[in-house]
Amino acid sequence: MMRHHHIPEILLTLGFSVFLICPIMGAQIPAKGSEAQSSQIVEPSTASIPTEVNSSKLVEEANKWNGHKVVFTGEAVGEHMMRGEKCWIHLNDDAYMWKNIEEGAKLGGYNSGHAIWVDADLVRKITYYGNYLHEGDIVKVIGTFNSVCREHGGDMDIHADTLEIIKIGHPIEQVINSKRALLGGVLFIVSGILFWVRRIAIRRRT
Amino acid sequence: MIVRPRLTDFKVIGLYCGKIIIGVGLLMIVPLIVSLAFGEWNAAIDFLVGIAVCLVIGLFTEVFCQTTRDLTWAHGLVVASFSWILATAVGAIPHWLSGHFGSYIDAMFDIMSGYTTTGLFLLQDLDHVSNGLNMWRHLLTYAGGQGIIVIALTFLIRGTAGAYKIYVGEGKDERLLPNVIQTARAIWLISLTYLVVGSAALWAVGMNLGQSPVRAFFHAIWVFMGAWSTGGFAPQSYNILYYHSLIYEIIAIAICIIGSFNFALHWAIWTGKKSEIRKNIEIISFFITMTVAMLITTAGLTKLGVYPDVVSVFRKMFFQVASGHTTTGFSTVYSRTFVVQWGALAMLGITLAMAIGASACSTAGGIKGIRVGLIFKAMSQAIRRLISPESSYVVKKWHHITTRILDEPATYSVMMIVIFYIMTYAVGAIVGVFYGYEPVQALFDSVSAGSNTGLSCGVTSPAMPVLMKIVYIIEMWAGRLEFMSLFALGGYIIALLRGR
Repeated sequence: MMRHHHIPEILLTLGFSVFLICPIMGAQIPAKGSEAQSSQIVEPSTASIPTEVNSSKLVEEANKWNGHKVVFTGEAVGEHMMRGEKCWIHLNDDAYMWKNIEEGAKLGGYNSGHAIWVDADLVRKITYYGNYLHEGDIVKVIGTFNSVCREHGGDMDIHADTLEIIKIGHPIEQVINSKRALLGGVLFIVSGILFWVRRIAIRRRT
Repeated sequence: MIVRPRLTDFKVIGLYCGKIIIGVGLLMIVPLIVSLAFGEWNAAIDFLVGIAVCLVIGLFTEVFCQTTRDLTWAHGLVVASFSWILATAVGAIPHWLSGHFGSYIDAMFDIMSGYTTTGLFLLQDLDHVSNGLNMWRHLLTYAGGQGIIVIALTFLIRGTAGAYKIYVGEGKDERLLPNVIQTARAIWLISLTYLVVGSAALWAVGMNLGQSPVRAFFHAIWVFMGAWSTGGFAPQSYNILYYHSLIYEIIAIAICIIGSFNFALHWAIWTGKKSEIRKNIEIISFFITMTVAMLITTAGLTKLGVYPDVVSVFRKMFFQVASGHTTTGFSTVYSRTFVVQWGALAMLGITLAMAIGASACSTAGGIKGIRVGLIFKAMSQAIRRLISPESSYVVKKWHHITTRILDEPATYSVMMIVIFYIMTYAVGAIVGVFYGYEPVQALFDSVSAGSNTGLSCGVTSPAMPVLMKIVYIIEMWAGRLEFMSLFALGGYIIALLRGR
């Protein structure tokens, strides 16, 4: 029977083997991973020319685009997150980048975009970030795409060298849905009546 | 002979279902306040309509189902399973009205995903949804984690002998305290305490990462709710990748792991029985299966040379495996990255973790550590019997709060539930393959739905076939309620049609 005092030893052994397996597997089969990656790196001259690309292509062909200079355009969403002299922003190039659902855009699937690592000074050009009440600025960046970024713990990101505002965003005008508000009001009156009826029903029952 | 349910049976079921619908409506007050605070007027109207519909349906049901009769076991199980469907149908109103869903089924998918703490979603343009809707999504998952029946027991249903029966019907059978209402309140005490501590930690880190105090506050609460309830919803489409922070990831995953522990274990520790952590079969089982899943996933990642160094491999692998094993569904990689970079072996490692899941009577889903632990104990017992003299009597003990002897009825019921889980996973995968998805991918998302995890490799999307959406909804529902309540509901329907 397995006793409790054996458990830490088993866990330690299994846990330690996780760390061991990385270099071992890497050493045993170096060709497949590294060859695959190196063969996908284009010639320096080609790689230095920025290529316009979208987010789904970068995700679907991540290894192919790794290390390439890319031109990426999308709507700034959420917020910027300063990290010293650098900053994280997120650009979405999905169906809602020019107009979101609150402004009448048709449904076009999930959001898609990329995380951008950029100089904090450049980020100050951005006025609006997309959310429920705002359509964010359309931002174009040129930078290096990393399918697995060494600097950022293996994240997929773009290290931008330049940032350009293509279109300034704007607050979204809220047109209040008065018919729906009226419906809500009527339903509340009905629920009030039902509440009163329920009280009578409970009194009768007891 | 099958006995047809009588009017009084429907009344007692209707009465409790009505209370639960009112409970869902009252829960919408929280996102309504958030929407009003942020000046999101149309979102606020959506919640007002949602509350009003819940009140009308709930009160109407209560008026016509007045009865003094208490619940039987069958009633309790039917209330548990049926109220989840009703709560899903009415809870989807603000989602549907928001305009972010392609159909009402899509909105119901997200609500069922929220209640069952799954985390898969079909909501479109998440990055532009209102704060109110985001609050609703996360509140659903937080409430669903404790159990919507637990909420009703805490606030709406007075102590009745039948209360325990609907509590059990929701897939929880631990009594932390002698009274089931006190048990429900104890669950809330644990969850709310962690909510304060966990959200405060995430809030502080969020501000340090560059978020404004208000956004950091709401993100902290939402991420906490997603983590603690092992739900996996996050306020931005990038999920946890959005924060680009190791410390944020560590806190989030720590909350996931703590949230995935059995409430009885939490209560034992709260009441001073700290040695329970070392002895508990679920904890031992969790750490062993977690290590096995980590080994498989690491082997897959290193074989393909996905990450350039050991630190990156460990960071990405550990987060996704822990997220899968706790059935949370948080991720720090894109969905399609599993397919295009991680490969089949790593995906199978995560699939295994998701399939097993975490602890029973917790916020988590999956087969559960206790069952996996008991199966291995039973296997070891069987082997010991084979190699022992015929006259010997082999006894296996297992520890969960108290030490018990492994007997055949316990092994039988465990095996039965495990078989149901495997069948659920298989059905979803077969439907996925039928629609042309790769088997590994179809299995990944099917297990994710059935185990209430929420990780996706891209199969789940608003564009997927309607039948698959319905199958996933049923998987989420069945997985969360652990089948018995569903069978009771099915039995009730059969009795209604064929009974005398």
